[in-house]
Amino acid sequence: MRARAPMLGRFRYGYVAPAALLVAGLLYAPFLWTAYLSLTRYDGLESPAWIGLDNFVKLFDDAALLTSTRNTLIWVVGTMVLPVGLGLLVAVLSYDIKGGAWFRVPFMLPYALSGAGLAMVWSPILSHDGVANRLLGVDTAFLQDSPYNTLAMLLVWTWQQLGVNTLLFVVGLQSIPKEPIEAARLDGASGWRLFRHVIWPLMRPLTAVVVGLALVAGLKTFDIVWVLTQGGPGRNSETLAVTMYKETFVSSDYGYGSAVAVMLTVVTGLASYLYLRRQVTAT
Amino acid sequence: MFRSRVATLGAAALVLTACGGGGGEAPQKKTELSLYNDKGAWTKYFDEMGAVSKQSIGLSIKPTGYTDSAQYQAFIKASFRTNVKPDLFTWQTGGMLAEIVKQKQVADTSAVWQEAIKAGDLSQDLMPYYTVDGKQYCVPMNVAYWGMFYNKKVFDQYGLKPPQTWDDLVKVADTLKQNNVKAFYHTSVLFSFVWFEQLLAGTDPDLYDRLSTGQAKYTDPGVVQVMERWKQLIDAGYFINPGDKTDPADVLKNGKAAMVSFGSWFNTSMASRSMKAGTDYDFFVIPNVNPALPKTSMIFESGPLCSLTKAADPDASMRYLKWWTTAEAQEKWSTSRGDVSANPKVAIDDKALGAVTKDAGSGEYRLVNRYFEATPPPILTAALDGFSKFVTEPATYMEVLQTIQQAADEYWSTHQ
Amino acid sequence: MIRRAVLVVLGLIWLGPTYLLLVNASRPADSYDPGSAWIPSGDFALLRNFVSAVEGANLSGSLASTALYSVVSPLLGVVIGALAGYTIVVLRLRHGFWWFLLIFGGTVFPSQMLLVPLFVGYSDAGLYDSRAGMILLYTAINVPLAAFVLRNFYSGVAFSIFEAARMDGASTWRIFWRIYLPISFTALAAVFILEFTFIWNDLIFGLTLTQTEEVRPVMTAIAGLMTDVYAGTPVPVGLAAGLVVSLPTVVLFLATQRLFARGLALGSVH
Repeated sequence: MRARAPMLGRFRYGYVAPAALLVAGLLYAPFLWTAYLSLTRYDGLESPAWIGLDNFVKLFDDAALLTSTRNTLIWVVGTMVLPVGLGLLVAVLSYDIKGGAWFRVPFMLPYALSGAGLAMVWSPILSHDGVANRLLGVDTAFLQDSPYNTLAMLLVWTWQQLGVNTLLFVVGLQSIPKEPIEAARLDGASGWRLFRHVIWPLMRPLTAVVVGLALVAGLKTFDIVWVLTQGGPGRNSETLAVTMYKETFVSSDYGYGSAVAVMLTVVTGLASYLYLRRQVTAT
Repeated sequence: MFRSRVATLGAAALVLTACGGGGGEAPQKKTELSLYNDKGAWTKYFDEMGAVSKQSIGLSIKPTGYTDSAQYQAFIKASFRTNVKPDLFTWQTGGMLAEIVKQKQVADTSAVWQEAIKAGDLSQDLMPYYTVDGKQYCVPMNVAYWGMFYNKKVFDQYGLKPPQTWDDLVKVADTLKQNNVKAFYHTSVLFSFVWFEQLLAGTDPDLYDRLSTGQAKYTDPGVVQVMERWKQLIDAGYFINPGDKTDPADVLKNGKAAMVSFGSWFNTSMASRSMKAGTDYDFFVIPNVNPALPKTSMIFESGPLCSLTKAADPDASMRYLKWWTTAEAQEKWSTSRGDVSANPKVAIDDKALGAVTKDAGSGEYRLVNRYFEATPPPILTAALDGFSKFVTEPATYMEVLQTIQQAADEYWSTHQ
Repeated sequence: MIRRAVLVVLGLIWLGPTYLLLVNASRPADSYDPGSAWIPSGDFALLRNFVSAVEGANLSGSLASTALYSVVSPLLGVVIGALAGYTIVVLRLRHGFWWFLLIFGGTVFPSQMLLVPLFVGYSDAGLYDSRAGMILLYTAINVPLAAFVLRNFYSGVAFSIFEAARMDGASTWRIFWRIYLPISFTALAAVFILEFTFIWNDLIFGLTLTQTEEVRPVMTAIAGLMTDVYAGTPVPVGLAAGLVVSLPTVVLFLATQRLFARGLALGSVH
């Protein structure tokens, strides 16, 4: 297998180049500017003033960042459990029954909605005196008290994202070759045992995709918080990405906002690296 | 294989061009001006204005609307460093305006102001908000007065009248409370500053001004007293739950709260819900908390329309700003949105607002710049967060004031 | 049976908010009362609400450009990403994991922080307010996801397929184009759907990098109505706008359902 025709070697780089160049030119390069700004004081107007690591030192002093970090962790764990877990459940329940695709339609529909649309649908539900209050017979403002507001938004997120995860899991299930399954069936495996010992290991490649994407998305959670609570009240539902956005754009403290961005990016990059490395050695 | 190589080269070329570039600009004669704005929802109204101006002065406008003002401001600031130059753009008064004037980016409109004041198209009272170091910049894109919108049917039902004094207002709230109706609307998102601003301006407008320029502290006794008064009103049960996410216009319409404090642009919301001014709802000026003050404090908001010194056709941009202040333009602009105008000659359809505009024009009120414009961005951010915490947990007011003051200390230590 | 029952119950819960959306988007604009939001109004005002939402706005240019971006960019992104995944896994590119990490790394940056530098770069390069610029950026955003999904998908495909094709003398490009792309069709379709939806609903890049109606995505014209307090938009009008602009995505979901309907027994090419 190692033996290759020499001509192959030359063009392999040509095949990854478009992907690598696009990503490097349009996503990495702009971020270099942010990385530079994190070492400066900058208001978006005057020239950036070099201040070394001051912004990063300030990170450790910032009490609000603790709340953001806690909420971000809730989002990461929550995203793994709810949209991913329930997405898997729906995929497994529906992939091989007749008309399974139609059972999945209700879960796909919410994904079509834009961020602003999502807020318009859910605000009246989670509002004090809203639909959820009346259904559950309670008197709570779901978007108000921390950390329940983060949990409430996590449910909204689950509502919107579950369908996508289901879709990817279904692709994973469909790509499983039938021979090992038939062999296992002949050996008398069925139901949970068949799933746990044969199907689950075989769908690992796509499971890794879903979990990997959820990890990154959870760490970068922004849109849904911004449209539903703007991180409030009193910053208690801020995530790291919301803190970054507010410092940079709302307060025009580009330097500090960039430092939060760099920290968030390093954490996200590191987490992805560790996760993916394990996945690669496993497959 | 050949195709893949072409694709590679193509991508590389694009990335490379993205690093070079830039071109010289020659002065142009423009007939259509780009108008960047953070009022994405007003595109329709800007388009209508463009049609009128084309008729009138041969210049039309092409609005490019943003929906998030923070992102919009970042974009405009960044555009100063590029060759993408808006011909016209909306901005904020206060520190935000001074900041970009200092960068020598904004075109001087002193001549436009002088002529407009002479012709009676702009009032002298507005000038200070558009003046930096003795010169004027931009013209008023819109103006709005803040006061109380109230549900007339609810008021009639309980025999209530618009209050003349602060005590009257509290009495009204109390009557409503005894009838299990919430008096006031407030929110924890964005407009959390409204009651702070109103109470402070109505108690001590000088303190309000000093606070916004860093000469007073949020922990000063006068400010603390305002927070305590606000807390009393919340504790008395006059406010709806701040966790209520209902649109304020629907709150008022459905009588969920009898009164909602907003700028006069709130009329647009009412009109789009088929609410009629004078029969379904009405507007009153909020009386001062401190009856000893010589004039009633009125919160006032004005958004500038600006042009750049390095605009593609500076002459055309300036002509447009000049036209914008005229009665012809303002008539159209204010009637289409049902709001008030910066031009005193424009008649306002809405009776209550018409009266307010007239009184404001004749110096009846002490105009107080809205908190949102008056406060420097980093302090404002801390304050909006603080007040949103306060409305959900009123007992935390001291902690909230200290947090805001911390941001203020940090800001004023590097500014002035 | 239990499986169907669970799916139906979960599905009904999921449809609850969708029901509220439909009912209130169809309500006459001036008769919205949050206190009874779940009761249908008996009137069908959806289209009237939508028309009043976009009144005056010239959406045809925006719609055409949004459609262009959300079809072309995912197509390019999917092919470029699949090619990278194929090269890394099947052609066993040297240091393949690091190449993959480089490409996937494109997803870790918070997109809000890319806006200002992208705007400055685009205006210098003359890409500001151009359809080519938007396609280029959206493609770049799409590539990492496509590369990730396809890389993992191909890692589950038996290597013997590749070896057999090489024996027959097929070039690596031909093997990719004729064998690997077709067998990964459902994965490609899933990625396409995700990316189509992302671009269709994108607001921030569209706002920052475009100006004229012909280039500006449709969401930029709609979003202000739904979020801006100065707009004073009645809730039913905002919901109708949100619902109608989501329809193309819903149609795409429904049209592609059949692709994902095959059960295990049919699903494999091996």
